[in-house]
Amino acid sequence: MHEPSLFTGLSEALSILVLKREGVSRSFHTLHSIPEWYRTFLGKSLEDFPNLLPDLDSPFLKHFLPQVHEFLDGQTTGQLTSGIWCEQGADGKDYQFEATAVASADTQLLLIQRMDRGELELQTVLQTAREGGLQHQRDMAEHKQVERQLGGKLERSEQLRDDLLVILDRLQLGTIMTDAQGRMTFVSRVAQELLKLKESDVIGRLWHVIPAFSADDKAALEDMIRQPIGKRTKVPVVFESVRKRRVSLEIDVQQDPRDPQRTIFFLYDVTEVHDLREVLTGQHRFFDLVGKSPAITDVYARIQDIAPTDATVLIEGETGTGKELVARAIHQASPRKGQPFIAVNCAGLTDSLLGSQLFGHKRGAFTGAMQDHQGFFEAAHMGTLFLDEIGDMPLSIQTTLLRVLQEKEIMRVGESHPRSVDVRVVTATHQNLQELVKTGKFRSDLLYRVRVARLNLPALRDRREDIPLLCDVFFRQSRTVTKKMDIQEISSDTMRQLMKYHWPGNVRELKSALDYACIHCHGGAILPSDLPPECWESVDRPLGGINSEVDEREQIVAALTRAKGKRAEAARLLGMSRSTLYRRLDSLGLPTKD
Amino acid sequence: MIQKKVCLLGAFAVGKTSLVKQYISGIFSEKYQTTVGVKIDKKVLDIQGEPMTLILWDLHGEDEFQKIRASYLRGSSGYMLVIDGTRLMTVGVVEGLQQMTQEILGGVPFVVMINKADLSDQWEIEHEAVEGLRERGWTVIEGSAKTGQGVEEAFFTLANRMVDV
Repeated sequence: MHEPSLFTGLSEALSILVLKREGVSRSFHTLHSIPEWYRTFLGKSLEDFPNLLPDLDSPFLKHFLPQVHEFLDGQTTGQLTSGIWCEQGADGKDYQFEATAVASADTQLLLIQRMDRGELELQTVLQTAREGGLQHQRDMAEHKQVERQLGGKLERSEQLRDDLLVILDRLQLGTIMTDAQGRMTFVSRVAQELLKLKESDVIGRLWHVIPAFSADDKAALEDMIRQPIGKRTKVPVVFESVRKRRVSLEIDVQQDPRDPQRTIFFLYDVTEVHDLREVLTGQHRFFDLVGKSPAITDVYARIQDIAPTDATVLIEGETGTGKELVARAIHQASPRKGQPFIAVNCAGLTDSLLGSQLFGHKRGAFTGAMQDHQGFFEAAHMGTLFLDEIGDMPLSIQTTLLRVLQEKEIMRVGESHPRSVDVRVVTATHQNLQELVKTGKFRSDLLYRVRVARLNLPALRDRREDIPLLCDVFFRQSRTVTKKMDIQEISSDTMRQLMKYHWPGNVRELKSALDYACIHCHGGAILPSDLPPECWESVDRPLGGINSEVDEREQIVAALTRAKGKRAEAARLLGMSRSTLYRRLDSLGLPTKD
Repeated sequence: MIQKKVCLLGAFAVGKTSLVKQYISGIFSEKYQTTVGVKIDKKVLDIQGEPMTLILWDLHGEDEFQKIRASYLRGSSGYMLVIDGTRLMTVGVVEGLQQMTQEILGGVPFVVMINKADLSDQWEIEHEAVEGLRERGWTVIEGSAKTGQGVEEAFFTLANRMVDV
């Protein structure tokens, strides 16, 4: 038998209430006094308890007891636990319990244990686990949200990229992107078409492998990559396509704004523009001659008349008007175009030297004639011989020349037998040969012989409308020669200045002036102040009625700018006295002090 | 007095205990305290002119650590399924619990409370999903144990339906 006081002590110590089911009545009796904690929970004193199952204000126990009876009725051994439950006690506090029904051979017990100590470690573990689970779910939700955001951004980014590619392609703008080492990372569809590349063949390779680029193109592009951003200009690239079609590109070299180490090449297809420009320019050019004025187009027409014949030609014109170019044009337009064209300047040579050069000499013909020498006439056999400055030709040579023209034979100096030559002679002079004939410096019969066909070249001042065209051609040449590709244009003020100048040196002087301007230009456009001084000194000349008050103001302001405000220097540039300049400044309302 | 046992079911941390606390005593605590086993509370209310005692069985959250004992559900006159609007996965848990409860209790009344309406900007449950639950014939109430929104309504609705059965 058990000892009630021992059970009471254990019950208190272990916070456990032990009840025994009586077999007949199926009622539960406590095996000890009701412990203090259970009385507190129920809010009852010791006297209130019969020694039966402490009823049962507990909804949970009311719910559990039928299960207990069912279990004990059906089992001889084993146990049934209720699981933990929590109820509010009479004192307002929460109490947690767990009940266990125990069946053994001779005893059926119900244990009600208060879970208020170490047993609730379970709660701590669960709390920790569930908090961890919650945090995990929050993290996952956050990850999903970030993933959605990134996915959305990626989708938008890809959409934007696709849109940009479509726009680039629609604009026919080719794009090549490279990494810091110059390896291609992207080649747009248009770039592939323009350069006849397959992206898969070139991705990851250096851009230098692009076959369309010549060595010069690569050097120019490399040079442009090294230039600071503000100094970069488009690099012209021309190549022949597979179908032998000429393709003209302008390549803009930019840095990737996201990574300056990476380079982006923008390819502009300007083939059509170039073709059109050539068509237009072609109408304004005749071989190497440039101009569309009536004066020069008349020259073109006369060249075309003269060229097919073998007639000797005399080209007259001021210095620098392009006499040699005309002679070459005659040769090129003639049936002799595949044969030699030899140009000889007759000025400043002694008759013996000139005679030897023109007609050749035999070995030993004179001191220093160490071997036989072929002259220019023989060298130009079947072709054209251009004799420039024929007005300066010594009379003795004129005589020989006259005979050659008549006989079509030459005789080398020191030889006695003639040699047949088939040479067309084109001559030129800036002098008035008629006047030279009068003064006996030129043979009249030779004059009549050489001027079978005549061409008089107009001075540049007589065809000013050709100046912009000539400037365009010379500016491009000068820019290349002076390596000043960053100069983009000739300013309108400069062009006005060029149109006003009287150009005594004609086209040659214009070309020289543009070379000078390119050398002295430090910006993107050639300004009036970049021109040679002589172009300034003539500005007050009343040429062609160009000067108006507005022009004069511009000229004076430009001169002052060029002279850095110094009136005396500006007056010198303008070719006027200081007093005149001060008077003009006053009348134009411009400041008269430095 | 009529007594009705009502179980609250749902995934862990959806706010079952907070809903009961708000309903019983109008208190809300931000601190999450997990429930072990079952917590029992009582609430007397007036239904159709008659007092009714609701015995609220706030069951522990269903998760991989604790599964709902079928014995807890027996004798229930109704139940409340609780969803956390900010956690989509709690919908799936409720769907499983509803199926289990239906098998044990048959067609006793229940309501669905979508809790945490105060955090509606963080909800993962779309309007279409809520409508999907309603289309099953479920009574769905959106509310918040924190603000008390929808809490009285949910229990009152359930109590009324239990009387009508």
